Amino acid sequence: MLEDLVVGMAGSGGDGVVSAGESLLAAAASEGFHALMTKSFGSQIRGGESSCRVRLSTRPVLNPGGLLDVAVALNWEDFRRFGAELPLGSDTVLVHESKAGPPPEDLAPAGRLPRQVLAIPLSEMAKSAAGTDKARTSVVLGALSGWFGVPLAALERGLEKKFGKKGAELVEANRKALAAGQAHALAHPLAAPRSLARPGKSEPRLLSDGNEMCASGAIFAGCEFFGGYPITPSTEVMQLLSRELPAYGGVVLQAEDEISGVGSAVGASFAGKKAMTATSGPGMSLKTEILGLASIAELPLVVVNVQRGGPSTGIPTKPEQSDLFQAVFSAHGDVLRPVLAPTSVEDTFRLTVEAFNLAEQYQTPVVLLSDQEIAQRKETVNLPDLGQIAVLERLRPTTEQLQDGYQRFADTPSGVSPISHPGMKGGNYLAAGIEHDRRGAPTASGAVHAAMNVKRFRKLDPLQGRTDLFQQLGDRDAPLALVSWGSSAGVAREAFELARARRLPVKLLVPYLLYPVAEQVYRDFFASVRRGLVLELSHQGQLHRLLRMFLDLPRGVSSLARSGAQPFRADEVLERLQREAEA
Amino acid sequence: MNAALAPADFKSPLKPIWCPGCGDFGVLQALYRALSAVGRPPHEVAFVSGIGCSSRIPGYTTAYGFNSVHGRALPIAQGVKLANPHLLVIVAGGDGDGFSIGGGHVPHAIRRNVDLTYLVMDNQVYGLTKGQLSPTSPRGLRTVTSPLGSLEQPVNPLLTVLAYGAGFVAQATPADMPGMTALIEEAIRYPGFSFVNIQSPCVTFGEEEQQLRAHKTRMKTLGSLGHDPSNQLAALDLARAYGKELYTGVFYRNPDPPPTYDALVLQRQAELQRGEPRPRARVLERLVQR
Amino acid sequence: MVPVLGIDFERLSLQDALDLAVLIEEEARDRYVEFAEQLALHHTPEVADFFSRMARIEERHRTELLQRRRTLFGDVPSGIDRRMIFDVEAPGYEEARAFMGVRQALEMVLASEIKAHAFFDAALPRVKDPQLESLFRELREEEVHHQALVRAELARCPEKGDDAEAYADDPVAQ
Repeated sequence: MLEDLVVGMAGSGGDGVVSAGESLLAAAASEGFHALMTKSFGSQIRGGESSCRVRLSTRPVLNPGGLLDVAVALNWEDFRRFGAELPLGSDTVLVHESKAGPPPEDLAPAGRLPRQVLAIPLSEMAKSAAGTDKARTSVVLGALSGWFGVPLAALERGLEKKFGKKGAELVEANRKALAAGQAHALAHPLAAPRSLARPGKSEPRLLSDGNEMCASGAIFAGCEFFGGYPITPSTEVMQLLSRELPAYGGVVLQAEDEISGVGSAVGASFAGKKAMTATSGPGMSLKTEILGLASIAELPLVVVNVQRGGPSTGIPTKPEQSDLFQAVFSAHGDVLRPVLAPTSVEDTFRLTVEAFNLAEQYQTPVVLLSDQEIAQRKETVNLPDLGQIAVLERLRPTTEQLQDGYQRFADTPSGVSPISHPGMKGGNYLAAGIEHDRRGAPTASGAVHAAMNVKRFRKLDPLQGRTDLFQQLGDRDAPLALVSWGSSAGVAREAFELARARRLPVKLLVPYLLYPVAEQVYRDFFASVRRGLVLELSHQGQLHRLLRMFLDLPRGVSSLARSGAQPFRADEVLERLQREAEA
Repeated sequence: MNAALAPADFKSPLKPIWCPGCGDFGVLQALYRALSAVGRPPHEVAFVSGIGCSSRIPGYTTAYGFNSVHGRALPIAQGVKLANPHLLVIVAGGDGDGFSIGGGHVPHAIRRNVDLTYLVMDNQVYGLTKGQLSPTSPRGLRTVTSPLGSLEQPVNPLLTVLAYGAGFVAQATPADMPGMTALIEEAIRYPGFSFVNIQSPCVTFGEEEQQLRAHKTRMKTLGSLGHDPSNQLAALDLARAYGKELYTGVFYRNPDPPPTYDALVLQRQAELQRGEPRPRARVLERLVQR
Repeated sequence: MVPVLGIDFERLSLQDALDLAVLIEEEARDRYVEFAEQLALHHTPEVADFFSRMARIEERHRTELLQRRRTLFGDVPSGIDRRMIFDVEAPGYEEARAFMGVRQALEMVLASEIKAHAFFDAALPRVKDPQLESLFRELREEEVHHQALVRAELARCPEKGDDAEAYADDPVAQ
């Protein structure tokens, strides 16, 4: 019985490969499977090469998976463009359109060419069953049903969702194509037949992606203003909020540029509302100045960066984790701002709320570092227990404080000063980017400036103790460490389980709070460690370097990092861990 | 007149750092008077500025002020107003802040038509940084960054703002304090984006011909020319004389102001909420797979 | 430029006229206070002190007029407010300069006294009430008197002051 199945499909945009993947995903989700789907494209808006991966499992899915169990190629030219996303192994069942001819010899690295290659006359079957060869992907889905036991009824429901709006005829035609595919699969069983296990009874789940979870988390957290600008792969956050936020009493502004987007959000925060912006790397660069303004003016702000390949325009449609340095350091002057990173679609909701909480509590911009994979992959998500998620508000002055000569930037034991907003009588103050004294009056005094820097840094000290913003698994005394963040953490978690199954003495650390570096948490973690890996998707291995800047990392802890658009696989991380354990 | 709020109620204890003789002192005085006439208390006024000598102005009033970063006052101010439409929002800055680095935000603030008032203190120079060329500097002007004379045609702020479709466009000078005070008040009262270009000379880096004494002789009121401010084409024509003539008064006032962006947003929210805002705990309902 | 707004001299009462006169002095006083602050901030102390003195003088004029007003009309609310007047006697902001000399300051004060004189002079023909006429004549004469005082000080002032600009540092970019 198969507990886990990874299907990859590639064709051109007109083939509807991604739509088919979505139908499969929806079918799996409705049947109670845990499922996850990623997509990958060429640069054309429509009709370029197009691919998807769907992973279904009876256990929670932590990442898109490694080598494909099933690969579907509608043509070879497009399939080959996705070498990184659709890796083949010798056990992969490679299904292809028979018209495309046999697979090219260099389709996979030597030793990994699939042993089972099945040519299916997809176009013919589609034409005959549905009247058009465009129904090829429905034939494929039917075949998957026949081979692996994905319930046909569930697939049919998925088809209805996709084609329903276009008319009953189209739905019926594709149903026939499904059936034809299933019949073909039953008539041509696999060499080593495997059937998907049935998932147990499950709670209702969500089917969502990171951007949707981010927007939803923002709504739940009480966001009342979003200002932003379209940029791949973050635009969906703004789009979703445009539809939904006004019903909750909020305002969404698609501004004229990135700077105006974050500028309007800072204005809204100054006016007392929880405010947010979302962007990717290039937009973060543009927003840098205003982020500094928010830091010195001590204004709460949530800034979501859905990372993509960089630098500059980079690779807009692929994930990378190379904006960590920017999130942490990009500012002139001495600036300390919290940086959080979700690791999955599911925790994006909770961490977005956390970002708002930190922003409000500490009156600071907070960067939420998502990435393209988490943001745009669709996965089944457990319903969060909303009653357990706290929502915090900024400290506002009391009536007494407003009557008594209110000082906006008064020093307090915590470093956090009560913050007023326009409309609040007695709370009038000047917010400014220029350095200021306790009242907000501009100053050039070194002593006052030093005191203000101390205050702005000191107020964030409690973050050093936030062990709840770290996930630690494994034995406290394990000598082998695996550290990872963001989307790579999903791969790390699976590698960790596989390593433990092999009895490797490994422990795992996944920070959700990347900055400030919670030194004691790391010190405690690394106390027992002699060797380890910091797993991340960036050429420089940015977290590894950041940790070395703040800690004495054990010498045996090295960086396992590479440029984006080449996601890690759990099996390759496992092999590296094995080597580290033997070193 | 509303005696409940005196101009002095808007004066903050902070002493302006402007050079004695700066035109901005007159603007500040006019602002105190205009605000007291409009009658909103200081805590309901949000005053946003960019960077420059004139951008220091919010701190010299008792309103909530936000002296932000160069060129970005308009987006920030729109965020303030949209977050709380009940506030009175004023934006101030110089010609560089508004038409150089901030130039990209001007068309959008105008077409968006959030209800705010934009006061530009136009002195054809960058004063704060010691006298460089500005986007409204006349061609041929010698400055520290144009020692051989500027090669560029200046931007015409009046024509630009009119062409982008602003509903209220005026020009003023501190040389006519009653006139300027009335124009600022009128701009504040106009429902929508309103713009007043204020010829506020720089006494340290400006030319002699630019100083207020010269304004007194040069200035002509649009009223004295028989201009009808509801005539947008005539306004555009008169605006072309920027740089050659100093026309003061209202160039254009839309006789039928369209609804403001903030009013439309409120309307939309009301329609979507049907009574009250949706409870936030319901946010995930739509996404549950059944 | 008409320095008043919304004042109809033909209908002005004596109370209004006194209130107006008080505010004219008050406006001038406040202007001199501002100039004193500006010049102090710009390290021109001699002239800053001079303006402080002018402010005190205006304050004296103001108090005297206020006394008269109170004697005649008690605390009846005034119908005249500061928004109705624009630099009647107060020198314009553009008159000040960093590093200005005492002579320049005196010339500024002289010009403002002349301006105030011209104001009352222009108002007189429009005033109907004989009590008002008498008040405005008196105020006009005051200005003549003030001018004489200022001219006397000017005469005592050296013709050519220090060339402060020549010694001052270059402006500083911020």
